[in-house]
Amino acid sequence: METVEKTKLATIWLSGCSGCHMSFLDQDELLIDLAKKVQLVYSPIVDVKIFPENVDVTLVEGAVANEEQLSLLKQARAQTKILVSLGDCAVTGNVTALRNAWSDSDQAVLEKAYVETSDEKALIPMAVPKLLKKVHSLHEVVKVDYFIPGCPPSAALINYVLTELLAGRTPNMEGRSKYG
Amino acid sequence: MVEEGKMNKEIVISPITRIEGHAKVTIYLGKDDSVKEARFHVTDFRGFEKFCEGRPFYEMPSITSRSCGICPVSHLIASAKACDEIVGVNPPKTAILLRRLIHMGQIIQSHALNFFHLSSPDLLLGMDADPAERNIFGLIEKQPDLAMQGIKLRKFGQELIEKVAGKRIHSSDWILPGGVQWPLPKKKADYLLSTLPEALDITLKTISMFKDRLQGLDEEVQNFGNFPTYYMGLVTATGGLEMYDGNIRVVDQDGKIVADQLDPEKYHEYIGEAVEPWSYMKFPYYKPLGYPDGAYRVGPLARLNVASHCGTPLADKELKEFKKLGKNGVVQSTFLYHYARLIEVLCCIETAKNLLEDPEILSERVTSKAFVNNYEGIGVAEAPRGTLMHHYKVDPQGMIRWVNMIIATEHNNLAYNKAVTQVAKKYVKTKQLREGMLNRVEAVIRAFDPCLSCATHAVGQMPLEVQLIDSEGKLIDRKIR
Amino acid sequence: MSVSTVKLKINGVEVTVPEGTMILKAAKDNGTIIPTLCNLEGLTSYGGCRLCLVEISGSPKLFPACSTPVSAGMEVTTESDRLKEYRKMTVQLLLSERTHICSVCVANDQCELQSLANQLGVDHVMFERQWTNDEIDSTHDFLVIDRNRCILCTRCIRVCDEIEGVHTLDLKLRGKDAQVIMDLDDHWVNSCSCTSCRKCAKVCPVGAIYIEGEPVFHTKNKDIAEFILARRNRKWRQ
Repeated sequence: METVEKTKLATIWLSGCSGCHMSFLDQDELLIDLAKKVQLVYSPIVDVKIFPENVDVTLVEGAVANEEQLSLLKQARAQTKILVSLGDCAVTGNVTALRNAWSDSDQAVLEKAYVETSDEKALIPMAVPKLLKKVHSLHEVVKVDYFIPGCPPSAALINYVLTELLAGRTPNMEGRSKYG
Repeated sequence: MVEEGKMNKEIVISPITRIEGHAKVTIYLGKDDSVKEARFHVTDFRGFEKFCEGRPFYEMPSITSRSCGICPVSHLIASAKACDEIVGVNPPKTAILLRRLIHMGQIIQSHALNFFHLSSPDLLLGMDADPAERNIFGLIEKQPDLAMQGIKLRKFGQELIEKVAGKRIHSSDWILPGGVQWPLPKKKADYLLSTLPEALDITLKTISMFKDRLQGLDEEVQNFGNFPTYYMGLVTATGGLEMYDGNIRVVDQDGKIVADQLDPEKYHEYIGEAVEPWSYMKFPYYKPLGYPDGAYRVGPLARLNVASHCGTPLADKELKEFKKLGKNGVVQSTFLYHYARLIEVLCCIETAKNLLEDPEILSERVTSKAFVNNYEGIGVAEAPRGTLMHHYKVDPQGMIRWVNMIIATEHNNLAYNKAVTQVAKKYVKTKQLREGMLNRVEAVIRAFDPCLSCATHAVGQMPLEVQLIDSEGKLIDRKIR
Repeated sequence: MSVSTVKLKINGVEVTVPEGTMILKAAKDNGTIIPTLCNLEGLTSYGGCRLCLVEISGSPKLFPACSTPVSAGMEVTTESDRLKEYRKMTVQLLLSERTHICSVCVANDQCELQSLANQLGVDHVMFERQWTNDEIDSTHDFLVIDRNRCILCTRCIRVCDEIEGVHTLDLKLRGKDAQVIMDLDDHWVNSCSCTSCRKCAKVCPVGAIYIEGEPVFHTKNKDIAEFILARRNRKWRQ
């Protein structure tokens, strides 16, 4: 039975590598303390399939690379009080955005992977979410409240930011904003 | 989300949760409401094969590491091996030992993640448990000791990587063509040796617990992806389990070795890749059997099927018991990937101990220097989830001109589709959708332990809604999670 | 030999420095560090990066400390909310102009732009990023230039001209299109003037010019220009 109201925490991964989520799990034993203070209401590591209403804090990893991610991000923004860009892909685009250097990058990458380097049935998959023309960092698309750079950000940094947010304070990112 | 197809009804499970990456499953029903087929779609893509073009080859370990945050070390190793070839040098012995050591750490933490953080809620809290609690946070609440063990085992693997390579995730500063950047200080080796016994203890306890529960999991063993396929993995010269080097062995469903000691660099001679319009993940197949008959599996189950021994005493003991579960030592059930995973963790811990106690691992000579001497390099290693191949072609200045990567998880794509079809056929029987039924379809995917960021060199996500529609297109039932 | 001195205030504290000293050096010699990127001891000032802008009372304008000499009674402020805001914006502009992906760069953790962003708390870039894709020139035996990482600080150009004396490097085009080129804009291997001294790689603040196969922390040497200049001028005899 919960006697203290737990903060509703959600996490999403978009077009990244899940390394930031792994860094989140790298909090190791501190996860036990975190579990006492938060309720994980949506995350790739829990079985909730629809993004809920009234989320307090959402951590979003990964850049926006296809249409479904775009609509999920917008939904998360609308249903969350504090949205945090987690990791370099979310904050800057990072490796995921390397394809932006090509014009018509969505076509270029699809042609290469599915037509040029396939042996059988070389075709571009259609019945899957459509790639956007460019890969976007999150704040190009929605308003973001806080940013945690890093590839990935260390578990200690993630823990610091979460601790500050849970206490209602603004994290101080001077000296904590190392990309890469 | 309703999709109209050739079949009259479709059930879509989206997203699959408690796996790495983004996927959905579509279950196609016939007019009589029975399951005809299920498909596993991977729904995001980044495009490494294209955007690496024009980058210098020595950046490839760094870039490909970012394919995946769970198994970045696998990519660092396969990439470094391909780069070693471009440079045309043999890394010094200590560098190889250190690379092997970090590889062990990688496999330990990745397998621990799948077993404890992703899959154990199904096994320990139950497939039909409340979805809100059927996750690692629920485990922390309901079975705190076990959750702590999982956290500690994964921590051991991550610390092994951190102490050797400087960073837990994307430690790309450390590995380079021709060797590694810095040696292992004795203090760190001693620290790791001091935390190793606890990790070993947790593993043995977990294997014991799993074996105890196996009786009660007979239904899962029989129905979760239990079908014959070929199996592929790297082996030593004597047919033992091998993760870093070795040659390819392929074994059929009856345990017969159909191909042995194949050069992994000639992968293109025996592995082809096909594309289907409904998934971003490609479909590798065994060329002698063609597509789609040439389905094969890789990963822990496959590796233990192709290998005759692990090479370390405790793991070998467990392997003997494991092989008894299959005909001619070949275990078919996808569910038993979980068991195989634990045996591999055991083997990796024992191997890590041997490596840490080898005095040569402390030597300071860890880099061989050279530049571009060959214009092509192929690196193959066993990632936690199976055989991983990196293939690069460069110009005389060392700029990448062509990249191909066949990712561990990809190899299992044909098997994924067979497995979800089998589970859906067994459990999606009535006109009533139950949440636990859907979870079982997902659970068989979790047993494979897919790494879809790697497999499509991308990541993405979607919400889940399942709809059951009759042949007139009328909505019968609907479950939203 | 007497040198005339100047008294001025830096952040309210009175300091005395030789006449002709730039504000940047005056501050540094008295324990105050003003952030810079294009400045390098031993090279002439360029004033291009605009990170060292400071406030001088009596003027609403900002002045580049690296190229503004002190004057008697000057009151300089090097830290204020306004300056912090402008520094952060300058770093963001630099990061947005070309393709800067720290995670896979050879200079990761050894980069002055990266560490300045960290120090200032630039946790995101508010400007739209330009994803440039200029071809890397790796034709030289061991020197490489990746112009996608260049911040046009011109340290490489100045060290090649002033210290090595051969002026292999210069700029072509203007504004954000400006590029560092070798001789008359040919591949590095075809340069007839380059002596392969590697000073350009040693002074590059980011990962734009580097040496193949050599870890960046090994290559970089911010003291090289000052050191050679001092030796050349026989400064140790004083």
